Amino acid sequence: MVTDQPLPRPLALLAEVTYRCPLQCPYCSNPLELAKYRDELDTETWVRVFRQAAELGVVQLHLSGGEPLVRRDILELVRAASEAGLYTNMSTGATVVDETRIKELRTAGLDHFQVSLLDTLPESNDRLAGTPSFEKKQAAVLAAKRLGFPVTLNVVLHRQNLDRIAEVIALAQQWRVDRLELAHTQYTGWAFRNRAALMPTRAQLDVAHREVERVRAEGTRGVDILHVLPDYYFEEFPKACLQGWGMVSMSVAPDGFVLPCQTAREIPGLEFPNVQEHSLEEIWDEAPVFRRFRGTDWLPEPCQSCERRDIDFGGCRCQAFLMTGDVSATDPVCRFSPNHYLVEEALQEANQAPPPLQYRVMSVSR
Amino acid sequence: MAMQRPVTTPIMAPGTRYRWDKVREQHQLVFPEGMIVLNEPSTAIVRLCDGRTTDEVVATLKQTYPGSEPTDDVYEFLQQLAERGLIREGALGD
Repeated sequence: MVTDQPLPRPLALLAEVTYRCPLQCPYCSNPLELAKYRDELDTETWVRVFRQAAELGVVQLHLSGGEPLVRRDILELVRAASEAGLYTNMSTGATVVDETRIKELRTAGLDHFQVSLLDTLPESNDRLAGTPSFEKKQAAVLAAKRLGFPVTLNVVLHRQNLDRIAEVIALAQQWRVDRLELAHTQYTGWAFRNRAALMPTRAQLDVAHREVERVRAEGTRGVDILHVLPDYYFEEFPKACLQGWGMVSMSVAPDGFVLPCQTAREIPGLEFPNVQEHSLEEIWDEAPVFRRFRGTDWLPEPCQSCERRDIDFGGCRCQAFLMTGDVSATDPVCRFSPNHYLVEEALQEANQAPPPLQYRVMSVSR
Repeated sequence: MAMQRPVTTPIMAPGTRYRWDKVREQHQLVFPEGMIVLNEPSTAIVRLCDGRTTDEVVATLKQTYPGSEPTDDVYEFLQQLAERGLIREGALGD
């Protein structure tokens, strides 16, 4: 990377403490071949990682998974992260937690509780999750609010729930959550496999978009709404994925491998360093996989000579690989990409009857 | 025209936290999915949002920085924080 600026320190660390999960969401960002990755770091190693992260300059820690609450040592992990000075967020399906445990998490120093919801209709939520879970999620959200947590409700949007976006917002208001993340499906991991079943139609999107704008205009009644639009449809240019590869954030997988992005381990040919062999600082500064797409020197045409080069850095590496087979290609979402037709073809799928969903399971292989 | 006092008793919203970043040598206000970097005057204000009233915040700052007239700056900054949901009204029955 040619620059006069020193390499910035990472602000965020995603710790996927386990891939185990009672839910089977068909858009999970975990790898398809989950059975290959059963090893998990022990408590002591995670604690060391959190301390190293704080020393490296990480501000926000995201404890995620899988389901982080299936780890028996989760309270110990939260306490260690908090004591290291990290702002500690947890993303959970909230199906294996009760009020006592939520209180213990609060006492241990957890700063922010994020709960996934798959749909506002209990039967649809439970069908998408592959297990009865709506009522547990509701109970957890209400308990977390009672205990004084800031709570975010995360709803991944797709063809099968998008028509209920008004109900999603109303439910978030009824539950008095602080934030609502309405994020359209990112087509990596399991979501790429299920793309044809998840891709909404243009008409669905237009209605949903208007609905969010209407609520915003009327006032959101205390709920901060974050609406992430689907890049296949709405963007002429790709998203600035990760705000630049290896520039702001890093992920540690359950088995200790460190990834610039949590879905990057599905890209063949990339070698990932492990926290059991190197410090986070060494990895951030030196690891070839972090340096490979850092900055803009590596960019192909049409990116290299594009005025948006320093805005989107060529887009998402995982998306480029999944769609074109070439990890160094311009993200096909870009209208200047020679592969942009692949996005247009994918959008055509939305006008056909959706194929059945393939649910996330541990045992499946390609 | 004098500014309106935006809140009677500013307290941190749930999940909003002041921290000193020793790596970047920076004062920060951290909250879910975000962070703002604070300068010295705004740090002084934030650290006084501990249950005392806005009037007391102003009075304390006047004592700490003799000769300063911080009222409008305090009001303006608290207004910005309140709009972003980072502080709340802590006065009971106000």
